[in-house]
Amino acid sequence: MAEMWITMGPQHPMTHGLWTLRVKVDGETVVDTVPELGYIHRGVEKICEARNFTQITPYCDRLCYASAMTWAQSYIYAAEDMLGAEVPERAEYIRLIAVEMQRIASHLMWLGAYCPDVGNLTVFVWCLRDRELFLDLLQELGGSRMHYNFPRVGGVKRDLPIGFAVRARAKIEMFLKRLHEYEMLLDESTIFLVRTQGVGACKAEDMINAGVTGPNVRAAGVNYDVRWAHPYSVYDQVDGVASVEKASSNEGSDCYDRYRVRMTEMIESCNMIISALDSIPGGDETHYNKKDEMIYIKPPIRAPAGQNGFHHFEDSRGESTFYLAGGGGKKGRGEFPYRMSIRSPMFITIPYVAKTMIGYKVADIPAIMGSFDPCIGETDR
Amino acid sequence: MKDDSENFSVFNSRALIDVVGNVTDEALKATKIKQLIGVLGGRFFNWAQRKSLFPLHLGIKCCALEMAAAGAPRFDAERFGVFFRSSPRQCDVLLVNGPISKKFADPIVRLWEQMPEPKWCIAMGECAISGGPYFQSYNILEGVDTIIPVDVYIPGCPPRPEALIDGFGKLREKIIRIGAPPVKESETDAPIIIGED
Amino acid sequence: MQIISSEQNLSAVKVAVEETNKRFEEAGITAESCQHRSGRKYSFVHINCPPNHWVSLAKWLRFEQGVDYLSMITGIHFPLEFEFFSGQPGYNPGTPEKGWEVIVHLTRKGIKNPKVGEQTIINPTKLTGMDIPLEYQISLVLPQTDEPIIPSVQSIWDGADWNEKETWDLLGIEFEGHKNMMRVLNPHDSPPGFHPLQKQHKIRYHNHNEMYDDAQGFMRKPLDSDKKK
Repeated sequence: MAEMWITMGPQHPMTHGLWTLRVKVDGETVVDTVPELGYIHRGVEKICEARNFTQITPYCDRLCYASAMTWAQSYIYAAEDMLGAEVPERAEYIRLIAVEMQRIASHLMWLGAYCPDVGNLTVFVWCLRDRELFLDLLQELGGSRMHYNFPRVGGVKRDLPIGFAVRARAKIEMFLKRLHEYEMLLDESTIFLVRTQGVGACKAEDMINAGVTGPNVRAAGVNYDVRWAHPYSVYDQVDGVASVEKASSNEGSDCYDRYRVRMTEMIESCNMIISALDSIPGGDETHYNKKDEMIYIKPPIRAPAGQNGFHHFEDSRGESTFYLAGGGGKKGRGEFPYRMSIRSPMFITIPYVAKTMIGYKVADIPAIMGSFDPCIGETDR
Repeated sequence: MKDDSENFSVFNSRALIDVVGNVTDEALKATKIKQLIGVLGGRFFNWAQRKSLFPLHLGIKCCALEMAAAGAPRFDAERFGVFFRSSPRQCDVLLVNGPISKKFADPIVRLWEQMPEPKWCIAMGECAISGGPYFQSYNILEGVDTIIPVDVYIPGCPPRPEALIDGFGKLREKIIRIGAPPVKESETDAPIIIGED
Repeated sequence: MQIISSEQNLSAVKVAVEETNKRFEEAGITAESCQHRSGRKYSFVHINCPPNHWVSLAKWLRFEQGVDYLSMITGIHFPLEFEFFSGQPGYNPGTPEKGWEVIVHLTRKGIKNPKVGEQTIINPTKLTGMDIPLEYQISLVLPQTDEPIIPSVQSIWDGADWNEKETWDLLGIEFEGHKNMMRVLNPHDSPPGFHPLQKQHKIRYHNHNEMYDDAQGFMRKPLDSDKKK
């Protein structure tokens, strides 16, 4: 048969980001794939060697723009590990609330971008509408709809605004009802089920060997979540479990499992937010000023050479890790990291996804690619 | 297109169309009918162009999410005629919403060249205007206007969806003022100035 | 959420450190238990390894200790002299013995692969022994050289594949035995030998006054540009 290479080029409505997937097809079947990344490689790791620790937070927001709060937090935990900073407990609760809200917003963006790929345009409009609910709440905390620059080394920038808890609870209640509507629409839609079930089989041991983490590997039945395995923040004091789906066949988990994991994760995040608001120290009605001890403790600003820090963090797409190597004790030199290294879950997952597509039809490519939730901002750094 | 069988140019349909087209064009120009049609129809074409700007479905970086939110129900750019198309051959506006790296400079110039005239370019966000927070990077160009002529700049990091819709409004005002850019073959024709609408 | 408690973590780290030291003492590989400096202050295993023994350590960790997940490979360049901002005194980050460093982060996931139709619902507080998740940080130090080479672990962990490509692309550290090395982040037609994260390459406008030297031809200087600061 005639084999040819097709380029799903950088500008493509279904690749969810700027990367190229060159696909070798034999008729309609995919025979080989070659991904190509690097179209928005910004050299963040090099730039951040000339920024001090507070100035790096906005760069980390812009790494994965769909899920900005989680990346800023991931960096902040690594910076606190390097500098040896203390964080008050109320600040940890506020960070948890912000991260879980961002996780819900990120999964809604994923669902809103994934369903048009498999043919369902209604859910795009619904999901973006509901994402605005959470973006409004995050805007009250951080000041902007997308890049918040909210956590600080040693705490958070400002406390929960007055009335935030009341609005958050009302919106979450409304959102849970709407989420049930989406599930009803998608789970009973024959087209959606035919396009996602049995497609994109991934075995659990292959995924772990390749370095895939997060909801993608939890869809295969592997209950691994950095929030309980290498614990940080106050996850032991809130109600919520990591959501896991059984792998559906001998071949492994398919796109439908990955979709179900994220829907369950959104519900679990809502539970975590409500229980964090219930048990936050200081109460959810009080508002402390900036730089108050309850929300911020001034950290050391310099790290001597040889003092390093790293932190594994559960991002919406997997496990993100920052490694910071300390600068040097002199003034003006110790304030900058000597090397900042970023581990992006999607950088490792995309070559794995490219291998998964071999053997399926061309029409399955957007379904498989979208189900892994690629976000190219963090991939290219 | 020169054929070997020039004697039979009357029967070759492409050459026939060329000849007839040239003759008609010269005749209309000589009697000033072409200019009349331009003035009368120009207002109509200008109205149609600015009320239905079709941008390209190109998402480079964070501002792409604000572009998607501008198409979402809350901000709804589609009521202004802004409808995203996937193929550059069907678009009017190239909305550049992220930093341009050296690897992407060639593809974006190719996308720009694939778009048919008349076309405009909007630089959205700080990264497209001047390199943004990555102005010191070894891989990012300092602004998309180093390689593509830009008509409207929308500052912000990221600009809110309302700012994007306002940017389209500024582009509409610009189209009223300058009309459509002149078609390349007839460079002696000045752009048709319509004035306040 | 139920989490791994600090006692489980400490016990697992102690066992791992002892076993590594017992197995590899004579090869010059030392393991120690380090503690995170903030948050819950859990411990992890830090191993210093000479680069020529890296593959055997990696095989032992993967197949006998169950470390099945490679998180990140980082490369750091320590030149002998480094001037940060021009005009300021430079300093010496590197020594003759330490010119390049590669840090590898691994994790032991401790989860057995599930059968089809089953889900590993486990109670983290009941994990013991080799099932407890553990963090490893391995540091490979190379002396001052113009051609740093480290053996590749591409055949041991699949996740090392693109991590090593990225480290070579950005830093120039060669990985011996790595198949199909290519540029992944920089453009494919970058000049060979251009590895931007090496310290002799400076970022644009490294000396900030250059910013005002007319990058885009606007002929603007700040009003106090000839004032002595």
